[in-house]
Amino acid sequence: MRRPVTRHAAVAYTQYVTAVTNAPPSFASVAEAHLDDVYRYLLYVTANPSTAEELTSETFERALARWNRFDQRRGTAQTWLCQLARSAALDHFRAENRRRRRESAFAAQADSSAGELELPDEYGPVLRQALRTLSAADREVIVLRIVLEQDARTAARVLGISPSACTTRLNRALERLEQKVRPRLVA
Amino acid sequence: MSPDLATALRIETPQAPDQLRERVALIAAQPPARSSRPTFPLRRLALFGAPALAAASLFAAVAVGIKTAAVSESQPEARSPAPTAPGAQPFAERRALDAARPAPLAPDANSATAPGPSRTRAQDVQASLTVLVTGTDDLSATTQRALRTTRRLGGYVVSVQYGTPEPSEGTSELRVRVPLSRVQAAIVQFSDLGRILAQQVQISDLQQPLDELTRRIRRLERRAADARGDELARIQREIAVLRRQRVEINRRAAFATVQVGLTTHEPQQKVAPPGRLKRAIDDATGVLAAELAIGAYALIVAAPILLLLAAAFALTRGYRRFADQRLLERA
Repeated sequence: MRRPVTRHAAVAYTQYVTAVTNAPPSFASVAEAHLDDVYRYLLYVTANPSTAEELTSETFERALARWNRFDQRRGTAQTWLCQLARSAALDHFRAENRRRRRESAFAAQADSSAGELELPDEYGPVLRQALRTLSAADREVIVLRIVLEQDARTAARVLGISPSACTTRLNRALERLEQKVRPRLVA
Repeated sequence: MSPDLATALRIETPQAPDQLRERVALIAAQPPARSSRPTFPLRRLALFGAPALAAASLFAAVAVGIKTAAVSESQPEARSPAPTAPGAQPFAERRALDAARPAPLAPDANSATAPGPSRTRAQDVQASLTVLVTGTDDLSATTQRALRTTRRLGGYVVSVQYGTPEPSEGTSELRVRVPLSRVQAAIVQFSDLGRILAQQVQISDLQQPLDELTRRIRRLERRAADARGDELARIQREIAVLRRQRVEINRRAAFATVQVGLTTHEPQQKVAPPGRLKRAIDDATGVLAAELAIGAYALIVAAPILLLLAAAFALTRGYRRFADQRLLERA
């Protein structure tokens, strides 16, 4: 179910209220405005809708716990939430790695299942297949720069790298994505 | 990148499902947690802490400067020691020692006002003079003149120390004894050797111990008239000892000791004590310099540790980022 109008309206309303009242936005308004951003980001990074949903919930729980530390002057709420989401995703990947190591008896089976990404049906078959072949790092920079339309500086801040490194990483990821997508589109 | 691909990525990326939206709405409905621990942003601390520290240091320096200036105002002698000529140093030391004695007399440049000995009582007279001469040639000649004066007055020389460490600088110290009756004449003539820089005359009474010795001798003589044998011999030995002591006192009383210091060094002019404001500024500057020195010392000591900590922090951070990136690339 797509609600771009609702999302943009929520973001615009939050920004309007913040600008007019010169007061920090409420957590509820920020959560409503950026829920889709966080979910999309995590969906790209994990390539798994159910994991993305879990991590999105976890991200907003962390955000609620740390809401008093959020400072608008240091970055937008979207950037802050994406940083929290990235941290949650990394924790998830680390936990998965530990779990896999522990379950060494089923390593082969686990590896094969982990490599099989479960992108939702909203993606077209071509894009879905192409995204499956990319790494989480490639998908991460694509979602930040292309889907969430962040500028290089903001995306670099989320990734913890320099803007130029972010641009380089994006170009390489898109190149790989196009290599996968083009032959199928031509076919 | 083709625009179609970007558009496809944006359009085909799904929104959050309603179920998740409701879960997040429930989370957001909760009141934000209040942190129990206070936060200290480093930048804010540095922004306000550094000027505050500088202001506190400055305030402390000014306060100390004003306080010490006020204290030294009430004790001016602590800041303005009396100048002394290099050649007169032994005399100055002697003056300090003599200050503990009962009747020291203040130095006076005018020899005519120097107190004279009593003609009726036995006294120990000690005088010291420091005289400035023009050069080493003059120093030698003046020393000779002083020796001749001593002999002419019927006195004798106890010791002479003559030295010229530099071609143009030198000192000569004479310790002479002159008859008590001529001590004033001696002081006057020694004063004419050059310009007087310092002078001191000290008179100690010897009449009282002399009288006491005389009384003891007479008592013993009376006892000796009735004594016999060993007791008589013991009393006579005691009388002999006391008589020797009396002779010694009489000898001391017969001659006065005069110490003459001749020097080519011009004494330093007495520096006017600085004003209260200048002292306060000087003290405050000194405190500030001390604070800076302590800060620099602490920085020098702590710098290697801080550098190591910073390097460890940077390495840890870099490694964590590298590990995160590798984790994402493998995921």
